[in-house]
Amino acid sequence: MSFSESQDLETATTAIQSQPDNKTRRYDRQLRLWAASGQSALERARVLVISASALSTSLLKNLVLPGVGHFTILDHHATRPSDIGNNFFLDPDASLGRNRAEEAVRLLGELNDGVEGHADTRDIADVLALGAEYFSGFTLVIAVNLDPSLVEQLSTLLWQDAACPPLIVVRSAGFIAEFFVQFHEHDVIESHSETAPSLRIDKPFPELLDHALQLDLEHMDPTDHGHIPYVVILVRALEDWKREHGGSPPTTTADKRAFKDAVSALQRHQDEENFSEAVANAYRAYTTTGVPSNVQALFDALPDQLSPARPFATLVAALQEFTKQPPYALPLSATLPDMKSDTESYVALQKMYGRRAEKERGVFRELVNKLSAETGSVIARDVVDLFCKNAHGLFGLQGKRWGDLDTSRERLVELLAASPRETATHLALSALSTWLARHSVAHAQSNGSAHPNSQTSNTELRPTEEDLLALVQGALGDGVELGKEVQDAVGEAARAPTADLPNVAAFMGGLVAQEAIKMITKQYVPINGHCVIDLVDTWTGVINA
Amino acid sequence: MAAVDVQRVNGTSHVGDWPDRYYHVDQVLDRPGPRTDPSFMAGDGVKDFLRNQCKILVIGAGGLGCEILADLALSGFKDIHVIDMDTIDISNLNRQFLFRPKDVGKPKATVAAEYVMKRVPGTKVTPYYGKIQDKDDDYYMQFNLVICGLDSVEARRWINATLVNLVDPENPESLKPLIDGGTEGFKGQARVILPTVTSCYECSLDMLNKPTAFPICTIANTPRLPEHCIEWASVLEWPRVQGDKKMDTDDPEHIQWLYNIASARAKEFKIEGVTWQLTQGVVKNIIPAIASTNAIIAASCCNEAFKIATSSAAYLNNYFMLIGTDGVYSYTFEHEKRSDCPVCGGESLEVSVPRSWTVERLIEMLVEKQDIQIKKPSLSTATAQIYFQAPKQLEEVTRPNLEKLVSDLVPDGGDITVTASSLPFSLSLRITYV
Ligand SMILES: [Zn+2]
Repeated sequence: MSFSESQDLETATTAIQSQPDNKTRRYDRQLRLWAASGQSALERARVLVISASALSTSLLKNLVLPGVGHFTILDHHATRPSDIGNNFFLDPDASLGRNRAEEAVRLLGELNDGVEGHADTRDIADVLALGAEYFSGFTLVIAVNLDPSLVEQLSTLLWQDAACPPLIVVRSAGFIAEFFVQFHEHDVIESHSETAPSLRIDKPFPELLDHALQLDLEHMDPTDHGHIPYVVILVRALEDWKREHGGSPPTTTADKRAFKDAVSALQRHQDEENFSEAVANAYRAYTTTGVPSNVQALFDALPDQLSPARPFATLVAALQEFTKQPPYALPLSATLPDMKSDTESYVALQKMYGRRAEKERGVFRELVNKLSAETGSVIARDVVDLFCKNAHGLFGLQGKRWGDLDTSRERLVELLAASPRETATHLALSALSTWLARHSVAHAQSNGSAHPNSQTSNTELRPTEEDLLALVQGALGDGVELGKEVQDAVGEAARAPTADLPNVAAFMGGLVAQEAIKMITKQYVPINGHCVIDLVDTWTGVINA
Repeated sequence: MAAVDVQRVNGTSHVGDWPDRYYHVDQVLDRPGPRTDPSFMAGDGVKDFLRNQCKILVIGAGGLGCEILADLALSGFKDIHVIDMDTIDISNLNRQFLFRPKDVGKPKATVAAEYVMKRVPGTKVTPYYGKIQDKDDDYYMQFNLVICGLDSVEARRWINATLVNLVDPENPESLKPLIDGGTEGFKGQARVILPTVTSCYECSLDMLNKPTAFPICTIANTPRLPEHCIEWASVLEWPRVQGDKKMDTDDPEHIQWLYNIASARAKEFKIEGVTWQLTQGVVKNIIPAIASTNAIIAASCCNEAFKIATSSAAYLNNYFMLIGTDGVYSYTFEHEKRSDCPVCGGESLEVSVPRSWTVERLIEMLVEKQDIQIKKPSLSTATAQIYFQAPKQLEEVTRPNLEKLVSDLVPDGGDITVTASSLPFSLSLRITYV
């Protein structure tokens, strides 16, 4: 693991002085990823999963184990023999004939005493008829292999009202599957970005610059010379360079090489590892610190009018104000990476960065206060500080509605050319779901069951490849050629149209749970679009409307 | 409510099977897909092999192992063996879903096997609570497939080399596909190794994350990070103060002691950030782990096992890696076999060393170098012993060589054979001097 992650954990749990309690010990391996703040978000979350299929229970297992607060399974079906065959959370000795949701909730509940589970045995169609209120009580809704007209109703309902939770739509057939996350906006402060914040060597703050200029490099004691942190060496070398070059930093390739040589020339002998580090990090001195592209994208997407309903936008606007002033960069980070040095010089440098970061945080707070006052927002100080600390890794995703992709033929054709296998798999799953819905209605009329997975005479419920190809052609328009990727995906869909394979269920259960955790904790970056998988050739891909 | 009946299907006894039990799985076994190999025998033949003949070994009953056992059982594998040397700890419960608080302290393999057999009737899971090294070639020979869900590099190198050595070109049955999975936080990888045919675990050793190692002089003289203070407590202070007493990183009192010592040192040097959990993380080298990532990687491994056992679809060639921190990113590729792989390559590994290097310096390099990483290596040439770690007498006899120059013992272009007790293979180095 990287130690920066462990340091994050440390800041969240500074009070712990002796062996942690049982709960902390139980969750230790995940707290090292999302810390106490992520854990408490997870414990406050209420998740609704529609259907108690093998895929549904696989994904719920991955939320119950880490301690999600509450889950509800909505499913009105009785457990069939085939359900017990592929679902680890149905009991071969007891579940047959009983309601699937109740049985799955009982067995999932055994995994974690701290989690509340509830079975809702109503028909989803009846629940949908009652409106949005039921759904707004959840943090996240996940629909697994739901009839397309019901998904349409559900996604429309949840999209209309901003107070409604995000929706994850999951579909699978045999070896192929996909999921889509529907949300309006998703803001991430703690993305755990692997890109380290700038040390601003090119734009040193006054105290750092003074310190670097005061060093008497030539006459310094050999031990001290071998322990100057590389950051200080580079600040000094850059300043010396600029003095000799009319105030400009190295710009051309030749300049940069010459600068590197100049740094190298300062090294008294090869054992001075701090100077070797300075040479290796020389690029940091001539790379201009500006606003990173992920943050610039947030500035560009700022609305004309800030609203108290979305404090994140106010924080972004304040950050933009901050970057409009010298040194035209994000607030300095107090985190200093390890570098060759002695304890004293390193700790002194760390303190210098800490003081400056604190000062800039103060300036940022002022800007936030000013904007909040104008817009009527109330933003807690710890949120402002967290935002400031993570400024370099901020993300703001603008989501899409479920089904948007399929409304534009042009976009589908374009995507099919750009990402053929991913788009083909999406189209095959859409075609299959349309076909099953049409035929299960007809099937239900003669059979008394509306469930597409009804297995009383399952062999009848199989489309031919031609059936599905015709539907794909319909989605794309005539004249669009259906290549090998479409044939391959359609072939798999027709081969196993209602198969919820245990391994595919587990794979999807893991992927969807990862995204659910990211949505709930607002840490790490979730997908934006359709994540498509093919477990024949073992790949995943993401396409977006 | 009645339990599902044990039925006879097609005249063969399938203990625990009931009509529609394999409704889902059979859809891909009854007919091929567009990319299925023509040799696929759809229907009863392939089902009979999977459910009545195929014998599979699972190594590890931890985070990946629990998932693997459940997935295999539901896929229809009926004869599963599992090896694990660990007992259940409370920190396993956030992901190892076959264990409950009441199981803490019991062997993982046994508890996992019982749970899977209860939940998936008709599956026989045979546990072995012990080390993979306890078993011989005959034991490994009995399986059709091996799946590895381990967190130990050492154990994976051992099983990989063992399965490569097992291959007898005259006997196709001796080639045991090895499927290996691993996770760290939101990331993971799964791969299929056909011993001697594809790239093996040893071939890809350089892909592993470099273990964090702090130079001893930093720890002793110029600590800067809380980690340096913790290493000081565990590497230097523990042996100095506690003498021969063995440090047990599972013992909270030992962690507490290290934490106290590290905190005092940090205070002395004005270093912030030593905590109980960081101390535990550093001394145990804890890797963050969550249920969802384990589920993905285990499912991927079992899906490959299922495809290999049934030929219902082509299997992975040969490496799948997944990164879930920023969206869902994955990469599927063919990792290349290394001709100088000490396990499957046959050629010597070329190493150039300065003429000024002593044997001790060469050993230091062998321990650190990313594609070698041999702890406690013993060195010899075809005609002479250079340095042996054991037995004791041999170590004493060869110890003076540590200070000699390699170039005085081995000619330019000469070979050195490297062995280690932890590895069932030897490494051949071709030495050239610079
Ligand atoms: Zn190899």
